[in-house]
Amino acid sequence: MTVTSLFGEPLATQYVLWLVDGLDMTVRVSLAVAVASTLLGFLLALLRISGVRVVTLLVATYVALFRNTPLLVQLFFWYFGLPGLLSDDAMLWLNSPHVLSVGGVELSWPSFECLVATLGLTAYSTAFVVEEIRAGLRGVPDHQRLSAEALGMQPWPIFRYVVLPQALRIALPPLLGQYMNIVKNSSLAMAIGLVELSYASRQVESETFKTFQAFAIATLFYILVIAVIEAVGQCWAWQQRAKARAMGKTA
Amino acid sequence: MLGLAAAGESPGDGEDGMNFQIIVDNLPYLLWGAFPEGPLGGAALTLVLSVVSSVAAGALGLLLGIALALATGNVHRLLVLVLGFFRAIPVLMLIFWTYFLLPVALGIDVPGLLSVACALSLIGGAYLAHAVYAGIAGIRRAQWDAGLALGLSRVQVLRYIILPQSLRMMLPSFINQWVSLIKDSSLAYIVGVPELSFVAAQVNSRLMIYPAEIFLFVGAIYFVICSALDVLASLVSRRLA
Amino acid sequence: MKLHALAAFVGLALVSGLAHADKLDDIRKAGVLRVAAFDANPPFGFVDEKTHKIIGLDVDYALELGKKLGVKVELVPTNPANRVPLLTSGKVDVVFANFTITEERAKVIDFSIPYFASGQQFLAKKGTLKSADQLKDWRIGADKGTTMETTLREKYPTAKVISYDDTPFALTALRNGNVQAITQDGAKLVPLLAALPDKEKYEIPPFAISEELEGAGIPKGEARLTATINDWLRELEKNGTAQKIYDKWFGPQSKSPLPRLFKIGDAHIRDK
Repeated sequence: MTVTSLFGEPLATQYVLWLVDGLDMTVRVSLAVAVASTLLGFLLALLRISGVRVVTLLVATYVALFRNTPLLVQLFFWYFGLPGLLSDDAMLWLNSPHVLSVGGVELSWPSFECLVATLGLTAYSTAFVVEEIRAGLRGVPDHQRLSAEALGMQPWPIFRYVVLPQALRIALPPLLGQYMNIVKNSSLAMAIGLVELSYASRQVESETFKTFQAFAIATLFYILVIAVIEAVGQCWAWQQRAKARAMGKTA
Repeated sequence: MLGLAAAGESPGDGEDGMNFQIIVDNLPYLLWGAFPEGPLGGAALTLVLSVVSSVAAGALGLLLGIALALATGNVHRLLVLVLGFFRAIPVLMLIFWTYFLLPVALGIDVPGLLSVACALSLIGGAYLAHAVYAGIAGIRRAQWDAGLALGLSRVQVLRYIILPQSLRMMLPSFINQWVSLIKDSSLAYIVGVPELSFVAAQVNSRLMIYPAEIFLFVGAIYFVICSALDVLASLVSRRLA
Repeated sequence: MKLHALAAFVGLALVSGLAHADKLDDIRKAGVLRVAAFDANPPFGFVDEKTHKIIGLDVDYALELGKKLGVKVELVPTNPANRVPLLTSGKVDVVFANFTITEERAKVIDFSIPYFASGQQFLAKKGTLKSADQLKDWRIGADKGTTMETTLREKYPTAKVISYDDTPFALTALRNGNVQAITQDGAKLVPLLAALPDKEKYEIPPFAISEELEGAGIPKGEARLTATINDWLRELEKNGTAQKIYDKWFGPQSKSPLPRLFKIGDAHIRDK
């Protein structure tokens, strides 16, 4: 019996499609979270280095709070705890379907699970992204800014054209690592009922009892997504090296 | 004025305010589970689970990192691939694997606590291996050459010259990984290991109407544990520096 | 070379798993019966507030079986979705956890004869759910890995089913307004409703969409263990223990009184 449950007949197409749908949700949520946490992380990193004491302290507190508590507990709090603090009307509005119309294109309103998962994951991931971007900004040597100043450049152009590109170059590899974490962390959203890849694998497993296959396919999908991000990173690094070589030649 | 005063009285017993009395009532269960009558649980089990997995992850990371630094060619590539697998798979997925499929595949029974510790140490170890490898690679080539010129073997150079220097650089990676490990131990709830998140969910199901209070409190406990580790780390690194 | 040895070892382990000695003998030899039970589903299996031990109707059956076999009972807490994998991976010997007997499940595990029966019902805000017809465009909370989830999907494919790891999570979602109703065995919903602090706001509409017969889950192919459990269950009905256990949790004096419409050995729930 053990052997049949391990391998057995291949999964029916219908169940593979469930897993593909799960993958689709995982990718969508991860993308949304990656974009949102990068933008927010940027903003917070700038505030963090603003030099205004209160602001710096606030950002540091945010980072410490969200980094040092488990994502699962945060998601439970957002999903099960927060609604009790909101009014009944607000909950009704959030849970009923709306149609979002953007320039004539109608988007369906995401489910409450999807909203909370995106919100919770963004709040968590931002705390990590802030630190990566801050490290990137700190990694740009001071003399770069000073020489630009000596050339008579204004503060904003200095930041935009001198500091930022270099900071991004330093921060990109760890940022890609954070994006991988976002994909993996999105699996925890199954605990709040989001139908993503891990949830789908559990569902297929409980419907077909083909535990091995359900988990194997889901695992493969995760590895695939991570591999794509890794490939993007490698491509980028390769381009950078090529650029550096080209610059070396012209110099 | 009178109206205000009257309105001011209601929040105390209303549904809107937070009720932290329920935390006080359930504190022992949240902190150490059914112990001593039953098995250890709650925050105490989270600590045990974290310490065991941290030590295992650290040892595994050190071992594999050194292997990565010493191995060449196909062995190196194979190691990178295996480590890549553990870095690419979500902790939750690996817990499913170790809990449900290891016993079927190997014919041995792995208790819940051990399978979670196993998953956490494998993932933590895979991350730390790369940190250790990077730390070793970060030491200048000249140091190796100097050691070898003194007549030391490669292992001796590694043990007495390279590792002492690189470990200091790796400390932040280790601390970071241990903090994630403590947080990830919360995923043990999915296979019924009665650590802090699991007992919190149990208490939440019994009381039903205080999820905000319970999860805030549980978050606070994790925060204290993780922050304590952070503080400890900065103390240690100051001693080392 | 090493790889071959490993493959041989794995193969051997698999074969030895197949040519396993009888489970019943194993249990007697070990002196321990490992039972999976719910820990968050009153009154079938839940953690007692004072002793922090798992108690409930299913636990009483497990303890009786332990007595019958003359062994100690070790309880393993489970959620619904973990029940089948716990059996197939050999982590427990028996599951007593409000376990509905289905053809699909019977392909990978064995079941005893049913010892409990109930129908799939709903819990919703008072006055909102009037007929089963409404379900087709509702958001309904269920538990992962239960028959409820599957039945709902088959009968009302357009309903939005959101599944949680365990019933209390689904209940919280209902209270928060994330779902409009939750679905469960009627026998589980009645005590759930009774325990709600604001129970007057909720109700269980008087219709059921399926009949659920619940038995003990047993690893596949353990004919002797299954036969022993079946005989023991019939004996419990004959000597009145089954009735006593039922009355303890659902009798007139209990927190959630419910008439007993199914006796061990019956084929279906009797009409009221």
